Amino acid sequence: MHNSSQLKNEFIKKWIQGLQIYCSSKKQMNLLERTKKIKLSADIALASAKHSATCWSKAIISEAKKDERNTILINNLSDPKMNFKCAHQNLACLKRIRSRKILKKSCDVGIKMKKMKPRRQVSNLATCIAKRLVKKRTQVLKRLVPGGESMDEYSIIKEALDYILSLRVQVDVMKNLVNATTNFE
Amino acid sequence: MSSRRSRGTTRITDEQIVELVSKLQQLLPELRNHRSNKVSASKVLQETCNYVRSLHKEVDDLSDRLSRLLSTIDDDSPQASIIRSLIN
Repeated sequence: MHNSSQLKNEFIKKWIQGLQIYCSSKKQMNLLERTKKIKLSADIALASAKHSATCWSKAIISEAKKDERNTILINNLSDPKMNFKCAHQNLACLKRIRSRKILKKSCDVGIKMKKMKPRRQVSNLATCIAKRLVKKRTQVLKRLVPGGESMDEYSIIKEALDYILSLRVQVDVMKNLVNATTNFE
Repeated sequence: MSSRRSRGTTRITDEQIVELVSKLQQLLPELRNHRSNKVSASKVLQETCNYVRSLHKEVDDLSDRLSRLLSTIDDDSPQASIIRSLIN
């Protein structure tokens, strides 16, 4: 279950922490660098506020870890337990995807044979087109959701649901901060 | 979805997927008003992709705006801490 207000509070706390870390490290930053840091700290704060509950949040953190410059930030914001779970789950996911792909290929051959029958050709075609569209859209969604590449259809929809809700929280908080800063001046 | 035997993982039913897709539809601003039985899965997925993209863009825009705002008050630390307390 997605608890928005709890996520919001966690996110705000961690994001402020992240911003403070950046403020204390370098005084002089150009606009582009600062924008990147703000966005990065927001993303990492959002992901770590989930406490390893979702795949997308783990994917964001493991992606950020690849850059050494983010180590301080990640160490301060996230739980160290996340490491081992992530790799193991990804491997299991990839194996599942591979076996599904092999299965799908053999099923597709079966579907092609069935299509030869003249009677139900029309309805099969419509279903085929619908399936292809869904598959195409699912591929796009997999690229949009962090860590989506190694997910099956059911998981990607579940993750997308949670990801959208969390992104909304992120946008909300950032908007409030921008408004507060603007009005203050 | 064809039924398949998978070792150790539970079989996902079509109903579960349909339920997820309808939940997704409730979230999307474009499709919330439509009646659920009239929207196809591919349309829901397409709108989901568009929505995620627009949320990403909003985050980028807000980061940019914040960056510009914070650059003007960076030197003045009391202001920055006041803003922090405003948010908390």
